[in-house]
Amino acid sequence: MATLTPEAPEAPRSTSGRHPVPPRPAPHPHVVATWAIFIGLLAMCVWSAYDLGINPVTIFERLANGVDFLSRLVPPEFPEPGRLIELTLTTLAIVFLATLFSVVTSVPIAIFAAVNTTTGMVSRQTARIIMIFCRAAPDLVFAIILIRVFGPANGALIGIIAMGLSSIGMVGKLLADNIEDVNRGPSEAIQAAGGARWQWIHSTVIPQILPQIIAHGLHRMDINLRNSVLLGFVGVPGIGAALSTAMNTRQWQLVMGLAIIITVLCIFMELLSGAIRTQLMGRDGSGRRRGILGVIDRIAHNNWVTAPTETHQVQRTRNGAVRTSPQWDAGRIQRFFGWLVLIGLVVAAVWDIQINWQVLTNTVTNFPEVVSRFFPPDGRGLYWDRFFPALVETVQIGFASLLLGLFIALPIGAMAARNVAPTPGIAKFFRIVIVVCRAFPELVLAIILVVILGFNATAGVLALAFGSIGLLSKLVADSLEESDTRVQDAVRASGANRLQTFFAATVRQTAPATIAHILYQLDVNIRAATLLGVLGLGIGFDLLEASTRNRYDILSLIILNILAVVVVLELISMYVRKVVR
Amino acid sequence: MAQSMMATDASFTSSEERSIQLRNVTKQFGEVTALNDINIDFAPQKINVLLGLSGSGKSTLLRHINGLHKPTSGEVVTLGTEVHRAGARKLRMLRREVGMIFQHFHLVESMSVLENVCTGKLGSLGGPRLGLFMYPKEVKEQAMEQLARVGLADKAFNRADALSGGQMQRVAIARALIQEPKVLLADEPVAALDPVSSATVMNLIGKIAKEDNLTVVCSLHQVELALEFSDRIIGLRGGELVMDRDASTLSLKEAHEIYSAVAVVTDEEIEQQVPELAGITTEQQS
Repeated sequence: MATLTPEAPEAPRSTSGRHPVPPRPAPHPHVVATWAIFIGLLAMCVWSAYDLGINPVTIFERLANGVDFLSRLVPPEFPEPGRLIELTLTTLAIVFLATLFSVVTSVPIAIFAAVNTTTGMVSRQTARIIMIFCRAAPDLVFAIILIRVFGPANGALIGIIAMGLSSIGMVGKLLADNIEDVNRGPSEAIQAAGGARWQWIHSTVIPQILPQIIAHGLHRMDINLRNSVLLGFVGVPGIGAALSTAMNTRQWQLVMGLAIIITVLCIFMELLSGAIRTQLMGRDGSGRRRGILGVIDRIAHNNWVTAPTETHQVQRTRNGAVRTSPQWDAGRIQRFFGWLVLIGLVVAAVWDIQINWQVLTNTVTNFPEVVSRFFPPDGRGLYWDRFFPALVETVQIGFASLLLGLFIALPIGAMAARNVAPTPGIAKFFRIVIVVCRAFPELVLAIILVVILGFNATAGVLALAFGSIGLLSKLVADSLEESDTRVQDAVRASGANRLQTFFAATVRQTAPATIAHILYQLDVNIRAATLLGVLGLGIGFDLLEASTRNRYDILSLIILNILAVVVVLELISMYVRKVVR
Repeated sequence: MAQSMMATDASFTSSEERSIQLRNVTKQFGEVTALNDINIDFAPQKINVLLGLSGSGKSTLLRHINGLHKPTSGEVVTLGTEVHRAGARKLRMLRREVGMIFQHFHLVESMSVLENVCTGKLGSLGGPRLGLFMYPKEVKEQAMEQLARVGLADKAFNRADALSGGQMQRVAIARALIQEPKVLLADEPVAALDPVSSATVMNLIGKIAKEDNLTVVCSLHQVELALEFSDRIIGLRGGELVMDRDASTLSLKEAHEIYSAVAVVTDEEIEQQVPELAGITTEQQS
């Protein structure tokens, strides 16, 4: 080695000798197809915005002109306190039971859908089809069908089942993913000990996904609370129904008052579910629990219960029996009261909504007859003149609001990510912006915009665009923060500036996640666009019309159309997510 | 008292009932042959160690004994049950009598230690259990006794993930013992542990095997541990049986032969796993 001279030719490295640089391969057909889909979707967005006449100048003009109408909304008027409490409790009871129903039903469906716990191909595909169907149909559609079946006397029950069913799609999908991610070792251990399938699923899979079950449930409760308002427009009791009545009778001040109450409830629910999550999972750096449980923990440390110390002798209770359940330490108190509260809430909620069992049993016997009225679907000659253009308008609202939302949501999302924002202060500021946007229920915003702009597509587009700021920028910020910072450090170490680092290291890493989020947002927006029908826009309006006029054949035709659009979107986004990694 | 009676009982049972036989067992995963024509009779009530590198087929062989894997061809008879043709129900019956512990312990980390031990009894309980309160009191008492036996009675109500690796493996042993097994299978029980915990766990397995007259089949990749703890060493290499001898009468020379038979890596084996690295070992040696 010492004789090495500068002129000595560099020894060929074995790797380069064995592997010559390959020519750049032609792009895979899937990649080409994906680009085509992107360009197609973007074209759809631009065309939709153009066709609906959405452009920033007119929007600002009309907003400025419409602000006068805001005076109609003030001062907000509230229902009397007794009625207000009654409405709130009804809404909360329905939302709680719907969420509970969806979680309890989702767990077995997820077990059948997850590859490691399913019993076979047939049951797996069946479970997946159920989930896709539940995801595809918005809860409003379920509610409209159910209200025809159960009759209007059972509004609360309809709300519970409608929201419950449509939640199964999302909760079940997430839980199935969680089940596929669990540590499979314990399951093998129980199999090796002679445990049957249901035994090892109960003893090893369920305990491992329990935190996720609770987290998804809390998250879904937030969403259901927002959706419950909408269901009020088809006869589900609670604040939504009051809002619907106020809208129909043009009592704008009461509308504003109810809108404020809904917003406050949503914020309260968000805080509550956040607090519960921290209680269940949060321990700070020192391993101490925060909140009430932390207090219990600390009291328990002061000789409330004595920790056993004998390693080779069984623990015994004070009267000498072998101890078979834990001492009343902080953990047991938490579990005990957790269950107690849950059971108490179920009882209270069931008592509150007062299911009309008489009507229920009557209608269940009529069920086949009612269902048969939905078939065959028939547009009564109005399809091409009325329903199809309405459907197109709805889809356009979805696309245009995505485009508008993207322009605002992506920069906000990037700025809210700690590892992208120039200073932590800026990141914190934009995080707060996102939280505030998320807190406003889209429907409330849509109502205010409808008051300002009148019943037209611009109001819908603006409302949905605002909604995508809350969701999309949060998702984008989260995935940016989850990106591998070591790559960013490496690029920065080579002398790149902040912007270069962002595009070279961060964007490419998070591109798959971001694309998935954007597609998800498109999905959300188009679904939400159908729901704007309650405000008199697009296909949703015809849906409600057909429902109130008992036109079952038109109803089923429109529902099939909506399902078709949602399923096509779902297939596209499934395909793109598979290709883009 | 109850335990000593059990021990005498067990010593009366014929060794035939505690036997494990593999005849011409071949196992293929797709193209890969994991086991190639293996014939072994494991020594009853002794500690049998399967020695070999990773990928030599130790784990696959172990999983044939309780039917977690079924042979592509050949016969496996465990405790009189024909594993290769047993249905699900019959396999579960067999597995009640065969305890198993794993390299990564395979405890449910969010569950209490006591409940983890109770799950070992699921095979003979029937029906799902959703929490500690759903197990019969006798099972919970047995679980507590087994925890005392492995020296972790004080941890009974801690979450499993609050324990160290060595403690977790002892809990896993307690979970296997609550089955009152006749055979204990151990798949690399100490590979994830530090030397001190390894010694504790291996000593515990040896002690329990003697007390309960267990037939132990344990896979290891450390020759020293195998020499120290086993009654019999079975060497595997690339899915083939390369060695089988009594470990009690081993000379140092023979011990070195074991090294060269199972523990020294050849270039070919490196080539199979990481082609770019082949040649490095020979360069270093020259």
